[in-house]
Amino acid sequence: MQRTTISLLIAGALLAWLPCSPDVAHAQSSRTISDAEVLKVEIRDTSRIVTIGAAITEIVFALGHGDRVVGVDQTSTFPPAVRTKPNVGYMRALSAEGVMSLAPSLIVATEGSGPPDVIDILARASVPFVLVPEGYDEAAVLRKVRYIAQVLGEKENGEAMALAISADFKAMRAQLEKISSPRKGVFVFAVGGGTPTVGGNKTSADGMFALSGIENAMRSVSGYKPAVAEATLAAAPDVVVTMLERNHSLEPSEMFALPAFAGTPAARDKRLVAISSYALTFGPRTAHAARNLAAAVYPELSLSPLQPRPWTGEGVAAKP
Amino acid sequence: MTTAVARATATHARPVGRGAIVLAGAGTLLVLAILGSLAIGPVVISPADVLRILVDGAAGARPTTGTAMRDAIVVLDIRLPRTVLAVLVGSTLAVAGAILQGVFRNPLADPGIVGVSTGAAFAAVCWIVFGYAAAAHLPTFVAAAGLPLSAFLGSLVTIVMLYRLATREGKTPVAMLLFAGIALGALAAAGTGLVIFVASDQQLREFMFWTLGSVGGANWTKVALVLPFVLILLAGSVSLRRGLDALALGEAEAFHIGFDVQWLKRVAIVLVAAGVGAAVAVAGVVGFVGLVVPHLLRLSAGPMHGRLMIGCALLGGALMTASDIFARTIASPAELPIGVVTAIIGAPYFLFLIHRNRAALGG
Amino acid sequence: MYQAKSVQVTVRGKAILADVDLRLALGRVVAVVGANGAGKSTLLKVMAGERKPTGGEILLDERPLPSWPVAALARRRAVLPQLVEIVFPFLAAEVVSLSLPPHVDRKSGEALVRRALAAVEMEDFADRIYGTLSGGEKQRVQLARVLAQAWTGEDTYLLLDEPTASLDLAHQLLILRLARTHAESGGGVMLVLHDLNLASMVADEILALKNGSRIAAGPPSAIITNDLIAALYGVRGEVRGVPDGPFILPQTVRMPADGGVWTT
Repeated sequence: MQRTTISLLIAGALLAWLPCSPDVAHAQSSRTISDAEVLKVEIRDTSRIVTIGAAITEIVFALGHGDRVVGVDQTSTFPPAVRTKPNVGYMRALSAEGVMSLAPSLIVATEGSGPPDVIDILARASVPFVLVPEGYDEAAVLRKVRYIAQVLGEKENGEAMALAISADFKAMRAQLEKISSPRKGVFVFAVGGGTPTVGGNKTSADGMFALSGIENAMRSVSGYKPAVAEATLAAAPDVVVTMLERNHSLEPSEMFALPAFAGTPAARDKRLVAISSYALTFGPRTAHAARNLAAAVYPELSLSPLQPRPWTGEGVAAKP
Repeated sequence: MTTAVARATATHARPVGRGAIVLAGAGTLLVLAILGSLAIGPVVISPADVLRILVDGAAGARPTTGTAMRDAIVVLDIRLPRTVLAVLVGSTLAVAGAILQGVFRNPLADPGIVGVSTGAAFAAVCWIVFGYAAAAHLPTFVAAAGLPLSAFLGSLVTIVMLYRLATREGKTPVAMLLFAGIALGALAAAGTGLVIFVASDQQLREFMFWTLGSVGGANWTKVALVLPFVLILLAGSVSLRRGLDALALGEAEAFHIGFDVQWLKRVAIVLVAAGVGAAVAVAGVVGFVGLVVPHLLRLSAGPMHGRLMIGCALLGGALMTASDIFARTIASPAELPIGVVTAIIGAPYFLFLIHRNRAALGG
Repeated sequence: MYQAKSVQVTVRGKAILADVDLRLALGRVVAVVGANGAGKSTLLKVMAGERKPTGGEILLDERPLPSWPVAALARRRAVLPQLVEIVFPFLAAEVVSLSLPPHVDRKSGEALVRRALAAVEMEDFADRIYGTLSGGEKQRVQLARVLAQAWTGEDTYLLLDEPTASLDLAHQLLILRLARTHAESGGGVMLVLHDLNLASMVADEILALKNGSRIAAGPPSAIITNDLIAALYGVRGEVRGVPDGPFILPQTVRMPADGGVWTT
């Protein structure tokens, strides 16, 4: 008995150290995603659309098809019109019959939606299920816009939107050239029991930092992970960025009292920035979110606001 | 004294024939639950249409266009496998719980306590995080079955380790079994935490939803995967009924009556592991069915195991199916994890049981 | 013949039983007496096969006990333990039926259960839930179960551990009478008893244990002596003596011939 247990424990420990691919979604999605060629043929009817994923929802509305949306997922909160739409729940735990009860003719979903069995059933029900590739940079945003435009048959409007967003990003980059020395930031997703969960590389937070001219102090960490106090101290972040919504944000005094941050330059200068969660969705408002974040982190630069667009509505500003 | 007739009060006696009535009632509930599960859902389909779809479907005829096709898909591809899976999983959990309570001689023993469910969940997490990468090199069927198979292997390994930890010189004292089960459950939970730490965010969230339980992803493959284990468990439980009855008097007495107690416990434990492992594999960790159903049946139909096993299979299936109807309609078009529903029903009942038994539990 | 030969039971260096012999023949009743901790229950458990002796052996019909298949052994000997705890709500009749072997069909089984319950005067309690019975009633149900088991075999032995412990006088005598009847119909009976009077009434032979050793064995007249009682219990008593206050000897109690109790 002892030998069996010990060898199992060693095997388990070894496995834990093996580098493993965090982006497993590819293995799942590669068998379900349809490529553009097939889509052109299959999509006949866009009169009743279910959108899953905040970015997807915003883009569909921005392309003028908001009135055709019959259901959204729980992360879709913008534009305000979505609040009256039926909610299909969490994107990874869809209910096949629930979605079908909305009688959709098209489902546009963020990569990673599922479970796969539900997608199978919906596909067999001849409801086109389009998985849109995810990504955390400018190219990903533009790709989403063009992709969805193609699905909806709005190629021209989509191109116009993509060009406008491209211009926004360009304007952002120009403004960022004013930064002489980038500040280091830590994104705090949530604080549980005194330990903050921070955004490492390959996260939407990391992507947002890159767009805002902020260096990610936690880039050596992979994904969202609980922070080790010594590591954050050694990284010496200049600013702590957190989410605006009630669940996730803390008062500056509370945040900087945490062992992870007490003693950092951020704590010394009391630099805590809260951003609205839409900044992490990498939808059409991404450049504007990046500008707001940069403005809060580099207040001395007096960054000018970007040109408002039809899809930005009343976007929430960052709070220093 | 013997010439005075003992007056049977409701709590002191059980009328003859009550057992058969209860079984009939449980069977009726199961049938109603199945009918309800086929007829009720977010998509509104009239019972007449449901019946027509089922009859046509049995003959192999299926509409190919329009609302009729959508309805056929809902009834035949969503509700039907889901109902069948819920019945199988519910039956399995209830019967496994009854056997475990017989072996432990404790009405509060639950498959979760001996760490079997946790071990299954740990194995599943390992598959989710590490296995998908390996799945690319495996044939499709094996890859699709990877998750359920891992969970089953996890529960088997847990039960074997449990047995070796708790058994000395061919004897397994019940207290050792409990302690070993708790220790193994803690180890599995720690392993799960470690693997989750390594995992990325999206895998983490998938796992969390899976462990709250759901029959929402039901398909015929899953049914095929769990069916053999269910049948083995049900058949095995009925054949063990006399031994489990005798075991209620104590292991020494069961020996005096003529049963090989160590063999009996071994077989019972393997059956439980197989059943729970299969159930967790296809539906995630669903609690309280293995606790509430056997307890209710013992009180109403009596603890003789022949009747009890049949009753558990019927009532467990009914409870799970009814819970699933609730899970998929209450938050429509979204869906509640079924483990949440059974917990809402079962946890207050569990607290009530603890309260009633507090003298016996030392409280 | 059911016998214990030079049985030794040692636990952590301490001898619970040391070199004990016991011969139980069919048609005979043997009572085992001794102070608390003398090893009486251990001897019974070793005889039953529940516990393996450290030394010596148990033979049933000349065959060592370990060589008997468990199910076959159950057809030759039935055991009543001191304490049985049941947590599930079985009926009294169901408890009695637990000892019946699989080859007994339902009707015969029900008849056996009724007969066994009647023998211990519990036939009106058949549908009562066992857990709601008093201590004495539970003990009688257990004895009914043991009797039912014995009646399904041939040439069976009853091994009874303190069968009279929780019972009132009438029922104590009933149990003794059942033991005698079993012996008279060809079975063997081994009883562990605390009460010397009862042992003297029922037994053909008494075995006296002290600290795990057999210090005397023989018919009641040879065993119930002042010296032996002093040796066993460390008290001075007077065999055949008469005390000052009122007293009644179980030996003087009459039971009606048909097995009921006096109603007047």
